[in-house]
Amino acid sequence: PENREIEKKIRPPLHEYLRRILFRDLNKITIEKVLRQMRKFDWFEPTFREYAIKCLTAPYYVKYNSIHCLASILAGLAHFYDDIAIDVLDNVLDDIRSCLESNVPRYNQRRLCMVKYLGEMYNYRVVDSIIIFRTLYLLITFGVTLDNAIMSEVDPPDHLFRIRLVCTLLETCGQYFDRGTSKKKLDCFLLYFQRYFYFKKEHPQWNTNTYPFPIAVEHVFDETLITLRPKFILAGSYTKACEEVEAMEKEYVTILAQNEIKTPTTIDTKDNLPP
Amino acid sequence: MIVLRRLPPTLTAEQFMETVSPLPEHDYFRFYKADNSLGQFAFSRAYINIPNRKDLLIFTEKFEGYVFIDGKGNEYYCSVEYAPSQRKPKTVKERKDPK
Repeated sequence: PENREIEKKIRPPLHEYLRRILFRDLNKITIEKVLRQMRKFDWFEPTFREYAIKCLTAPYYVKYNSIHCLASILAGLAHFYDDIAIDVLDNVLDDIRSCLESNVPRYNQRRLCMVKYLGEMYNYRVVDSIIIFRTLYLLITFGVTLDNAIMSEVDPPDHLFRIRLVCTLLETCGQYFDRGTSKKKLDCFLLYFQRYFYFKKEHPQWNTNTYPFPIAVEHVFDETLITLRPKFILAGSYTKACEEVEAMEKEYVTILAQNEIKTPTTIDTKDNLPP
Repeated sequence: MIVLRRLPPTLTAEQFMETVSPLPEHDYFRFYKADNSLGQFAFSRAYINIPNRKDLLIFTEKFEGYVFIDGKGNEYYCSVEYAPSQRKPKTVKERKDPK
């Protein structure tokens, strides 16, 4: 067969330059320099702005270990143009959500990069912890049934990728949820995450001899929990994990009820769950 | 702030405005063109902030499930949701970058 020539996309020089500094030159050492260049662009020119936002939303073109550099650039730009960070954040969050809806394996690498990028945005203070927790809960609840009789279309039993996504996000920024409310929030989340994990692990399709639950996924889960909460004792089974969640919910409902007596407000008892 | 998702990828901000007009009083509007690298899963989005609760509810009810049709006659069922990030740019004049 004839050699098919791959058609090379022809981009305006400015766009080529932007891609070069972001996707090729950017690393730990060049951050400062790249940021200086980025600031020199004309951000009020709509075509350029649109293209640059697109590039800043594409952490999957950056080397995985340099994704934090892209977040750093974004944080640097946000200092002068806060709308850039808002646009990029909206795009990243929607990408995470859209990929949950479509769930095509082809995008798995991209999805990992996206959640890592989001985590790094937290580390560089572009987003607050509310967004991180909202995303974490989205990952373990979107289309999830927790009922083997009802198969989830977007999260089928053999689909374990979300565990990886959660672990990646936690690995990236979870260590900073170590005090105050965010610590408590993470403690709650981990119980829900554990329940999700055991639900997946105990699905009847797995068979220890013929089709075992992938050991790699188990390791990722174990490691994430050990790193974040060394004293965390794993429930070991779905039933036990459910009990732990129930106990925690009960505890919070009691606290909420007490608060309500003190200061009568209309608090929904489910408020300990982010929306 | 709400977001209208799953809009036709070829839709433009102007066309969108035409379709939804009259848009109730709002203090923020932003339209994002679809990210074509997602192939068949690429959709456009619009973020709107409608401060008046009553207007907001009416608007949401009207456009949840509303069918947008693109130039080729394909149908897109719009979904209206609470935007995951509620941030909008500060109204104050942007800090001038000394560069």
